[in-house]
Amino acid sequence: MAVDTAPAPATPAALLDEKRTRKPIGGAVLAVIGAVIGGFALGKLGDRSVTFTLNLTLPDASWTVPAAPTVAILAALAAAAGILVAIGVPTRWFKLIMAAGATCLALSLLCWAMSQEGVVFRIESILAGALFLSLPYMFGALSGVVCERSGVINIGIEGQFLMGAFFGVLVASITGNSYAGILGAMIAGSLLTLLLAALATRYQVNQVVTGVILNLLALGFTGFMYDQLKKTPGYNNPHGVSNISSWLESIGLGFLGDIPVIGPVLFRQSIFVYVGLGLVAVIWFLLYRTRWGLRTRAVGEHPAAADSMGVNVNRLRFWNVAAAGLISGFGGAFFTIANNLAFNKNMTAGLGFVALAVMIVGRWNPLGVLAGALIFGFTTQVSRYLDTAGNSIIPGEFLQMLPYAVTLVVVAGLIGKAKAPAADGVPYNPGDK
Amino acid sequence: MRLELRGLTKKFGSFTADDNIDLTVEPGQIHAVLGENGAGKSTLMNMLYGILEPTSGEILIDGEPLTFSGPSDAIAAGIGMVHQHFKLVGPFSVADNVQLGREHTRGGGVLSAKAAREAVLDVSERYGLRLDPDAICEDLPVGVQQRVEIVKALSGPETELLILDEPTAVLTPAEITELLEIMRSLAASGTSILFISHKLKEVQAVADTITVIRRGKVVAELEPTASETEMASAMVGRAVTLTIDKTPAEPGEPRLEIEGLTVVNGAGVKVLDGLDLTVHSGEIVGLAGVEGNGQTELARTILGLLKPDAGQIIIDGVNVRSHTPSRRIADGLGYIPEDRGRDGVIAEFSVAENLVLNQYKDMPYAGGGVVRADAIRQRALGSIAEFDIRTQSPNELVSSLSGGNAQKVIIAREFSRPRHLLVAAQPTRGVDVGATEFIHQRLVTERDTGTGVLLISSELDEIYAMADRIAVIYNGRIVGEVAPDTPREVIGRLMVGASMEDAEHADPDEVEVTGPEAEETPAAEAAETSAPEADDTPTTDSGTSESDSNDEQSNGGDR
Repeated sequence: MAVDTAPAPATPAALLDEKRTRKPIGGAVLAVIGAVIGGFALGKLGDRSVTFTLNLTLPDASWTVPAAPTVAILAALAAAAGILVAIGVPTRWFKLIMAAGATCLALSLLCWAMSQEGVVFRIESILAGALFLSLPYMFGALSGVVCERSGVINIGIEGQFLMGAFFGVLVASITGNSYAGILGAMIAGSLLTLLLAALATRYQVNQVVTGVILNLLALGFTGFMYDQLKKTPGYNNPHGVSNISSWLESIGLGFLGDIPVIGPVLFRQSIFVYVGLGLVAVIWFLLYRTRWGLRTRAVGEHPAAADSMGVNVNRLRFWNVAAAGLISGFGGAFFTIANNLAFNKNMTAGLGFVALAVMIVGRWNPLGVLAGALIFGFTTQVSRYLDTAGNSIIPGEFLQMLPYAVTLVVVAGLIGKAKAPAADGVPYNPGDK
Repeated sequence: MRLELRGLTKKFGSFTADDNIDLTVEPGQIHAVLGENGAGKSTLMNMLYGILEPTSGEILIDGEPLTFSGPSDAIAAGIGMVHQHFKLVGPFSVADNVQLGREHTRGGGVLSAKAAREAVLDVSERYGLRLDPDAICEDLPVGVQQRVEIVKALSGPETELLILDEPTAVLTPAEITELLEIMRSLAASGTSILFISHKLKEVQAVADTITVIRRGKVVAELEPTASETEMASAMVGRAVTLTIDKTPAEPGEPRLEIEGLTVVNGAGVKVLDGLDLTVHSGEIVGLAGVEGNGQTELARTILGLLKPDAGQIIIDGVNVRSHTPSRRIADGLGYIPEDRGRDGVIAEFSVAENLVLNQYKDMPYAGGGVVRADAIRQRALGSIAEFDIRTQSPNELVSSLSGGNAQKVIIAREFSRPRHLLVAAQPTRGVDVGATEFIHQRLVTERDTGTGVLLISSELDEIYAMADRIAVIYNGRIVGEVAPDTPREVIGRLMVGASMEDAEHADPDEVEVTGPEAEETPAAEAAETSAPEADDTPTTDSGTSESDSNDEQSNGGDR
C-alpha cells in the first residue's frame, strides 16, 4: 500500500518555505567569529608561515604556506557558511554547510596555532595520535550505547574505566601477561555494571543516582588499593601490548606501514585500535541486523510492546548492562596497558563523562560514536601536541580545556536536540502500560 | 477456538478487580464485553493474555485448562491481543514490529528482512489488511497503526482468538466502520473475537453476544438486539437517559470571535491556518474533526498558552492579544482541557486544592499571601455536594479518584465562578456513562444561563447530542459550518478534508463501503495522507492515556 507520508499538497511558496532551514543566531555567531579571526589573522600574523610534514614516512618532504592568507581564507569560508545559515539554506544542505563551516573554523585556528616559530604540523603523528586517543571515548560510548539502547542509563562509565585501568594493571603484573590483564580489566568493569544492572532492573533504583554512587565507589576503592600497592612494589607494572607493525613485518606486509599518511594511521597502531574499530562494526551489526539488536532496541524504546510479545524486558536489560561493562572495562585497560603506564589515582580524569557526551553526539549509534570519538580524539591530540611543542600562544591549561570546550559547543550548537531511546532510564514493571 | 473462563478472580490486596467471572466465547463468534471504566475489563483481558496472574479460577481452551505465565504462553495457545494503547515501537518499521518476539532469522540470530517483509504481506493479503511492511510506524495514521496491531496479533503461530481492547477509542468514523467490517470478516473466517468496549452503538452493530461487567462481576448477558438504554442501565446499575433534554438555542451577542487565526509550531508547520470561528452567548458550538487537526492548539491559543502568529481572538468585544492566561480566566473564560492529567488537575494535590487552582490567590481563599484553609475547605464541601464528586473527603488526593470524578473536579472548578465563555475540550473522554450524562446536563445548563460554549470533541455522537451548530476543523481551518441535523456522512467527509460541495453531493453510501476496499474511497485515502502532517497525531502511546490510567487506579493496581 502506498502510504504517503509527505505533507498534504501546499502552495508552491509554502513548499519552498518548509524546505529551508534558518538559524539566525547560530549562523551570525559563526559569521562573526570567522570574520574576527580572519581580520586578526591578516593584522597579527605578519609573515609567519605554517609548515606541514609527513614526519613518519617521508621525513624529508615538507610544505610551507604563508600563515596569514591561509588562516584568513579558511576563516572567511567559515564566515560565509555562517552567513548562509543565517539567511537560510535548503534543509538538505544545512548539515553539510554547518559542518563545513565548523571544520574551516577549526582548521583556521589550527593553522594559527601551528604558525608559531618552531612548531611544525606533523600530519601523520597528529592523525595517528588522534585515532589512538579517541579509543577511551569509543569504548566508553559503545558501552553507553549498549546500556541506553536497552533503556538503562549508564552514567558510571568513569567508574568502570577506573576499575578496568586498575585491575588491568594488577592482573598484568601478577601474571606477567598484558592480555590476561585486559581480561581482568573487562571482568572488573563488568562487576561494576552487574551491580548497576541488579539495582536498575531488580530493585528499580534511580539509575542516575546509582551511576554516580558507583563512580564514587570505584574512585574510592581504586584510590585505596593504589595506596596499598605503593607499599608492595611490582604490582603496578602494566607490561604494555605489542604494536601491529611488528606482526605485519613478520608476515611480510611491513610495507603497508610505509604508505604515506595511511600507513602510520592504520598499520602502525596498538591492537587496542583494531579492537575499538572492530567493536564499532560488530555492535552496529548486532544492533541493527540481529534478533538480539531488534529486541534490545525495542526494550529501550517501548518495553511494554516488547513484553507483550514475550520478550523478558528486565532479563535482557540485565545481561546487556552486564555485558556493556566488559566494553568499558576494556576501555579502562587503555589508560594503563595500552599506554604502558602505571595506575594512578583518578587517572581517567573525567574521560568517562566525555564518553557519555560522545554517545549523545553519536546519537546512540555506533557509527555516530565513531565519528564523535574521532573528533574528540583529534582535539585531545592537538591540545597535547601544541602543549608539548612549547612556546604556544595559549597557556597549556587552556589547551587541556579544548576537548571539554568542544564537547559543549558540539552538544549545544551542532547536535541540538538528540532523541534518546524513549524508555531510557525508565524502570520497567511488567503490567505497565 | 472455544474459550471458556470459569470463576476467574483477580485481587489486588483487599481490592477485588474481577470477581468470579464466567464467560464463554464460541468459535467464530464476536463476543462483546461491556463495562464502565474501572469495571475490571482490562484486568480480565490482561489475565487472559498472561500479563497478570489470576488469583483463582480457570482458563480453558477447547476444554483444556491452561495456565499462562506470560504473553508468550498466550500467543503460543493461539491468542492475539490488540491493546487499547498500541504496543508499537514507534521508530521501527511495520515488519520489525510484527516480527518482534518471533523474529525471522537466517540462523545465528541474524535477521532476514526479506522473510519478515513477506510474512507481513502474507498475513495482510490473507485477511485483506493492506500494509506497507517498510513504513515506519510512528509516521502512520492511527487507523493504520491499528491495522499493524491486528496483523501483529494475527501473525501468531495459529491465532484463533483475537482480543480487541477498546479498539475504536482513537479512530475516525470512517476507520471505525472499516474496523467493524474487518471484525466481521475475521469472524466469518473462523476467528473468535473478544471485543472490549464501552461504546454501545459499536457493540450493538457487531457483537453476537454481550457480557456486561460492573464492579468486577458479570451482571448481565444480553443479545445484540438489546436496546442501548438496556445496555447502559446494566453497565451503570441504574436507569440512564442517553438523550439530552434541551430547548432550542437562543443565541445572543458574540462571546468569542476568531479571525484568521494562524499558529505555526516549532517544526514550521501551520497547525492553525487562518481559522475563523464565532461563538455566541447561549449556544453550544460543536467543533468536530479528526484529532490532530488543530483542536488542541486552538484551545490552547484561546486560553493564551500559545501565541498566535497571525489573526486575532476577541472575547466579549475585547481583543485579548496582550492578555495573559490568568487575566483571560479572571475575565470570565472557563477551560476544560483535553488532557486531564497534564493540564486539568494536579494529581498529587487534594480535591480541595484542585478546586481553587485558578482562584487560590484571590479573596476569600487567600489574604496577605497566605491561603485560608478554612475557606478552601468550605468551598470544597459545597462543590463536592453540588457536583456529586465521589470522594472520601476534601483532603483526598485527586490521583485516587476515578477518571469521571477527577473530571467533575475540573467541571466544578470551572463552573463555580462567573464566566461568559467556556472552552470544553473532550469533556467526557475516559468518563463513564453516568458521569457523561451529568457533564452533558451541566453544559446545557451553562448554555441556558447565557454562556457561549465551544465544545471540542472527537466523538461525533457527543457533537450531535450537544451542539446547536457544528463547525468542522481540518488541517487547522474550519472547512464547514453546518446545522446539527446534517447527515453523518457529510460531516465525516468534511472531517477528512472534502470541500463543502463535495461533502454534500457525494453519494452517502460510499463511505459505508464494506471491507478493506473502503480504503479506496477518497475520504479514507485523504485521511491516510493527511494525518502524518498534523503535529499532534496521537502515536503509539499518547492520546488517551488518561482514561486508562484512571482505569488502572480504580482497579486498585498496586504499583
